[in-house]
Order: sequence, then C-alpha cells, then structure tokens
Amino acid sequence: MSAQGDLLHVVTQDDISAQRARFGRLIVWGSFALLILVAGVQTLGTQGVIAPIADNWRPTLYAYVLWAICLCAGQVLVRGEQGKRVLFVLPATLFVVSMVVFPLLFGLVIAFSDWNLSSPDGRQFNGWDNVVQMWNDPFYWNALTNMVWYTLAILVEYTIAFGLALLLNSQIKARKFFRVAFLLPLMLSPVAVSWMIGKSMLEIRFGPISRFLREIGVDNVTFFGNPELARLTIMAMDAWTFIPFMMIMILAGLQAIPKEVQEAAKVDGASGWRGFWEVTFPLMLPVSITAILIRIIFKLKLADIIINVTSGGPGGATDSVTSFIFREYRDRSNVGYGTMLAMVYLVIIVIAMTVLMKLADRWMRPRY
Amino acid sequence: MKRELYDHLVRVGLSRRRFLQGTTAIAGAAAMSGAGGLLKPARSFAMDDVRAEILKIPGVGMGSPTDADWQRVGELCLGGTRETVAEGEFEGVELTFMGLNNQNLHNFLFRGFLRSWEEYTGATINWIDLAQADYNARLQQSIATGTVDFDIIEMGAPFEGDTAGRGLLNEMPDWVAELIDMDDYVDYLKAPVGTWDGKTYRVSIDGDCHTFAFRKDYYESEELAAAWASEGDGSAWAQPTTWEMVNAHSKFLAGKTDPLTGLDAHGYLDPLKGWGGFGFYFLENRAAPYVKHPDDPAWLFDPETMAPRVNNPGWVQAIQDVMDLIATDGAYPADQINADPGTTAFQQFLAGTGAMLNWWGDVGSSARTSDTSVVGDVVGFDINPGSERVYNSMTGAWEDTPNVSPNNAYIGWGIYVTNRVEGDDLKRKAAWSAAAHLGGKDLSLWASAYPSGFQPYRNSHFQFEEWEEAGYDRAYVEDYLGSNSDSYNHPNAAIEPRIPGIFQYYSVAEDELAKGFAGEYGSAQETADAIAAAWERITDQIGRESQIALYRASLGL
Repeated sequence: MSAQGDLLHVVTQDDISAQRARFGRLIVWGSFALLILVAGVQTLGTQGVIAPIADNWRPTLYAYVLWAICLCAGQVLVRGEQGKRVLFVLPATLFVVSMVVFPLLFGLVIAFSDWNLSSPDGRQFNGWDNVVQMWNDPFYWNALTNMVWYTLAILVEYTIAFGLALLLNSQIKARKFFRVAFLLPLMLSPVAVSWMIGKSMLEIRFGPISRFLREIGVDNVTFFGNPELARLTIMAMDAWTFIPFMMIMILAGLQAIPKEVQEAAKVDGASGWRGFWEVTFPLMLPVSITAILIRIIFKLKLADIIINVTSGGPGGATDSVTSFIFREYRDRSNVGYGTMLAMVYLVIIVIAMTVLMKLADRWMRPRY
Repeated sequence: MKRELYDHLVRVGLSRRRFLQGTTAIAGAAAMSGAGGLLKPARSFAMDDVRAEILKIPGVGMGSPTDADWQRVGELCLGGTRETVAEGEFEGVELTFMGLNNQNLHNFLFRGFLRSWEEYTGATINWIDLAQADYNARLQQSIATGTVDFDIIEMGAPFEGDTAGRGLLNEMPDWVAELIDMDDYVDYLKAPVGTWDGKTYRVSIDGDCHTFAFRKDYYESEELAAAWASEGDGSAWAQPTTWEMVNAHSKFLAGKTDPLTGLDAHGYLDPLKGWGGFGFYFLENRAAPYVKHPDDPAWLFDPETMAPRVNNPGWVQAIQDVMDLIATDGAYPADQINADPGTTAFQQFLAGTGAMLNWWGDVGSSARTSDTSVVGDVVGFDINPGSERVYNSMTGAWEDTPNVSPNNAYIGWGIYVTNRVEGDDLKRKAAWSAAAHLGGKDLSLWASAYPSGFQPYRNSHFQFEEWEEAGYDRAYVEDYLGSNSDSYNHPNAAIEPRIPGIFQYYSVAEDELAKGFAGEYGSAQETADAIAAAWERITDQIGRESQIALYRASLGL
C-alpha cells in the first residue's frame, strides 16, 4: 500500500502500467469510432446515398451499447480505483442519456417537423411552422386557459385538505376509520372515477345524484350542460380523487409538529384560531408548499377524466392541454404538431415550476 | 353476428312451443331410428349440405360457440381449400396475421377457423392481437415508420387509402375471387370498395351501415296522434320517412309525455358530443339525403380539387337542423350537448328516452336482449330517412326532388394481404388461401348467424329460410336485418371515401361542430366554414395531389 496520498479514502494501490492505460484508451476511442462509423453508414443508408446495411437501427444501438461498456471498462483500466468510483455513477448517467436525453432531442427534431402519419411524404422539416400554427390555434390557447383555472382550483383543494387533516388529527371518534375512508378515492383510478361518477352517478336521468336533486325540486338537472358548470364538475371529480393525497401529506406534517409548541402557545393565551394561524400554519408551510407543488404536477397531467367524461366539451370548455394533445396526436395522427404542443407545454411547466419553487423557497425561509 | 343479437334470437327462437316441437321431433327420430334406421338417408343428406350442418354448430340455444365449434366449422368449410391447395403444399411457410381481439372474437375465431387449414396445408400462423383502441395507432405507426410486420391484416375499408393507396397491399389473385364468389356480396361492398386503381385487394368478412330505429308506441299513441292533428302540419301521425318530418316531429314532441315511461317525450336523438371521429357519421346521416345526389358519387369532397363540400348548402342545412332543435326547449333531453353516440344509443334510446335514432347494428341487436333496454317490444327499423330536396353540387343549386341515401358508415371489416408476400409465390398463395378460407361463402354464413363481431354482408345471408330452419325467429330477423339489406343494396347509398387520414377529417369536424353546437360560432354556415378550413389544412398537410388521386380512385373515377 502506498505510504503517501489520500490514505483515508484510497484502499487499493494502483500500479497502472502505460500499456494498460493505452489499452483502456484504445477500447474507449475505438468503440466510439465504431459507433460513429456505424451511425454514419446507417444515416447514409436511410438517405439513399449508399445501400442500407440493415432494416432498422439495431446496429447503431449495438455499437452504442458496446461503446458504453468500453467506456466503463476504460475508466477502470486507465484510472484504477478512481475509475471504479466513476462506475457508481457512469452507467446510470449513460442510461439516463439513452432513455431521457436522446428521446428528448429526437422529440425536438419531430417537433420541428410536418409529420402527419397519413402523409405519403413522411416527416418533413418545417422550421417554426408548428409554432406559428400553435400561436394561431384557438383550441390550444383555450386549453391553456382552462389549465390556469384547473390549477387555481388547487387552492380550494388545499383548504379542504387542510381542514380534513386537522379534523383527523384531532381526537374524534372512529378516527382510524375516517383516515382510511378519506383515503379511498385516492386508491381509485381516475378512469374508474370517470365512469363511476361522471358517467353513472351524474347521469342526468338515472344517476342517483340527479334523482336526488330532482327529488328536492331542482328542475333540468345538468352537470355538464354549460361550460362553467362542466368545468366545475370536472374540477370537483379531480379534487375528490386527489384531496386525500394532500390531506395525508398535511396530516403527516401535523403529526410531526411537537406538541410542546402548541401547548406553549395555549399557555401564552393563544386562542384556537390564533394558535392555528400563528403557530400551526407557519410550521406547516414547508409541508404545504411541497404538497401543493406535487399536486400542481399531478394537475398539469389532467386528461383521463376529461377524455372519458366530456371529451373536452362542451365547445372546448373542459379541454386540458393534455387531452387536446391526445386528440391531435391519437385521433389525427398529427405527430409533428402534437409533439411541438407537448414540448411547448413542457417548457411552460419547467419555467412555471422553477419560479414556483424559487418563490416557495423564499416563503419557507425562516422569518427572524 | 353481434353477440347480443344472437342471445336475443336464441331467446325468442327457443320459445316453449318450439322447444316442445324440437323434443318431439328428437323423440320421434329416435323411435324411427330404433325401428329400422329410417332416418339414415335424411342424415346423410344433411351431411352433404354444409350450410345446414354448420348452422347446427353448436345449435341455437346450446350456448355460445367455443373454440372447438370454431375449429369444427373451419374444418367443414375447408372444401375450397382442398380444391385449390394440395395437402401439405405450404409446409414450412410461416405467416403473421394482425387483427383485433374485441370481446374475445375476431382473431379468436380466426384461430379456430384456420386450425384445420394449418393442419391441411402445413403452414403456420403467428398472431398479433390488438384492442380496437390500439388498432389505428399501431397500423399508422407501422406504415409511417416502414415497419409493416404482418402478412395478413384484418382491416376496415376506410383504411384502404392508407394501405392500398401507398402500395402496401398485394393484389388478389383471380382464383381467390372465383373461390369466394364476390358476386354474392351486397351491392355496396362490390367495387370500388376493396379495390384501388382497378385492382382488388379485399376479402370482405363484414358489412356496416346505420339504420333508423324508431319507437312504434309513439306512433300508435292516440293522444299524440290527436295532438299532432291539432298542432301538426296536416300530415298523418306516422313513422317519419324524411328528415323534414323527423325535425317537425321532434319539435312537436317537446313538452309531451313519453307513452312508455311517462317521462318527457323527445324526438330524434342527435349526439352533440364527439366520439373520436366516429360521431361525425351521425351528422352524415342527416346530411346524406341532402347532399348525396344520385348522379354524383362524391358528397364529402370535390373529386377534382378536394375542396370540402361540408360547407355547401346541403351540409349547412343538416347542421342548421340540429341547431334548430338545440334552440327548441325540450326537443332534446337535458344535457344533450354532452351526449355522445354511446349515450344516445345505450343510455337514452334503449333506456326509453327519445323516439328516433340512427345507429349501427348494436341497437337493433340490443333492443330486445339487453337487460337495460325497455324498448324491445316497441322498436321498429327502417333505412335512413330521406329528404324532400337534394343539393346538386355540380349545378350549385337545390333540386326539389325527394332523395334517399342510407349511410353505410365504416363499410365493414375485410381480410387483406400485404406486399411482404411478394417475391415468394408459395407464401403469397398461402396468405391468400387463408384469407379466402376466412371469407368463404359458407363460413361467412356461420359468422353471420353466431356471435363473431361481423354482420351479414352477402345476399345469400339474407335468405331468411335458412335462419328460420336453423331455429331463429323469422319476424325479428326480417325486420331488423331487412333494414340492413335495404341499406346495403340501395343505389344511392352514401359510402365514405377510402382516403388516407379520413378519421382525421372526422375528428377535427367533431371539434368544430362541438363549438358550433355550444354557440361559439355565429351560425351553421360559420361552423361549416370552420370545418371546411380545417379539412383544407389536413388535405394540404397530407398532400393535395395525392389525396385527389386517391379520392378519385376510391370513388372509382
């Protein structure tokens, strides 16, 4: 063992010969050159410059896998123990690059293409045309506007969830039963909620809720008949499913608050409301912000209930961006434009979430 | 045949009287057989008659057919294969078959039907089973990415533009056309359906059309008849035969009482919400008599320019008719703006709401068999209502002549062979032999008579005596299937163009119609113009010149 260097963290004495290091570099660069060569030949083959070597891109995939293996092995050969440490991260990095970054880049290429699956011309690069089309597409802007309303509804959901969490945190009878009962909606698939509630319980003629409303004298019962009501009903169904999620997070937060703090506030004469507003709520802020942020992420994906119950109607009143993209992509095979819409939505989400997290970070910083 | 229809026919076919007749006959036959085998010649005669024999598998009232039954039917219908293929001729040939697995039918049946074919010919088949919802996406992606990995495909005629139009299909050999007796097809399934540029690609295994279902009790109600006499236009209170009458009756029925349920009465049930493109067929029902001129095969696009006709006065009239009913209080049930075709058929009409509806065979088959249907005894069927005038796109003017045009929506399933078999004669023959077996005249009769997912589509399927002898209820078969037969064979039927992306046009039209029906456009004309503009964009995106060529080919021009 070496008597010098980082003796605390280095456990192996590496005596890497020049030949071994050269071999390591050789397999890394050699396999990389092979990857470039195979990918280049296949690209030329698809463009008709030379005869294609295969019907699919598997040769390039195999070359990539070979290069990845050689890259990992090369780290150990060239850098010894330091290389082994890199192996803790490098395979995962390569996997993420393969499964996330590359498809994202490929998605960008598609997003700037005119690619209708029914077109005999196949995919054609069309620059910013999809962006221009999106800019002039009232259906997309309508869906984005709806998303603003859907997202704002989270504040109401949060208030209800907080109330329920406080209730379940207090000493009430059958507390365990209610905790399980309130969680049940979260266990249901939104598709099941769509059919059980949207299509069955809210069915205007035979649905039990409609019957009840008629019994108490409501004429012309309707839940999706006009735009505002339809949007509210969709919000309610989505809220019913996901309020338990926020509730359980807040409940966990409430249970983590030391009892002494609230008892001290009581001793100091804080009323129930002041105790909540001045002590419990500020202490719950980090959990609340986290719950709201995660809920926003869920909400931005809202599509299943809408697709099943209203198909975005009436007149686009309940359309979400995702349900609109689903129609554009699946029903109309408009892959290029659909991908552009999804990419723009992704950018909007990334920006919005970054801003929100910055703001949340500021709000959660202790005020001294 | 739809499973529900089968269940119903079984139910009515096995009445107590018929059951006793059957048992008496069996007892008598047993006695006669014991007394000297007098039945033997008759049984021998029945064995020769394949059609009569397969209709007894498993037999009416003997439960749903099983895989063993499908195999037995396939084996009995192997005559055509034996005539054209030597035993073991396809030894070593491997084929891939892509189809649906809806309701455990389609591919499940094909496996059974083809079992004996595989054993006889020596070929083997690999199966790709798809759910209906995945079908279009899988097919389009295979085509667009050049990864067609199947030799035989079960496919609807509307996709012929996407496949035959791109040269992805293999032309049917003459011996197959002869073997399956294509002259027996109902008129609308004959060329140009199944053909492209004069070449034939399709072995039909199904037919589709919308038929008009109406509540007879509405028209037998003395109360409603008296009210119509005082409030109506002087015509008789009887089943409407034109859309003008349908609209008048729908307005009249607003505020009246349903004679069956005692709840609010309503007239025709339009689905006002989209249904993945399929909802557009229901506006087509209304528009077809207005715009499908007998002298012009085109009715959705101009065959010279692909300019949409959806905003011509005929189509606008159809949209306006719906808007007029939306504006009439009580003409539709509450919340109709959110009713898709599934709602109008199964939650409204079959559940006793509304007097009239257009739909595929499912309504006819469910009316008396579904547990949730209350209209089984009061439902009647007819072809799509006509109109008192027709718009002539060629002259650009209305003609005051009555017109009828049934909407043969979706055209039905067929078996096609892809061009993967080209260059290998043995494989090609094997693929077409399998397709011919599935579309054979006798085998298709069995598929029409038992749960299979397929409706009758040959003239020979409408020989009601065969159904009656097999134990089915003649009256219902005649009423319901008769309306199908009349639609199929109508000389002015509206048949959709088999062009690439046809469901893209329908899907975007649904979105624009939903906005129009929700009052977001100023008029029916504005709504129609928005649809036309969206259709123009799709045509430009897919390629106008190629669409024109393919559209003309699909019309047989």
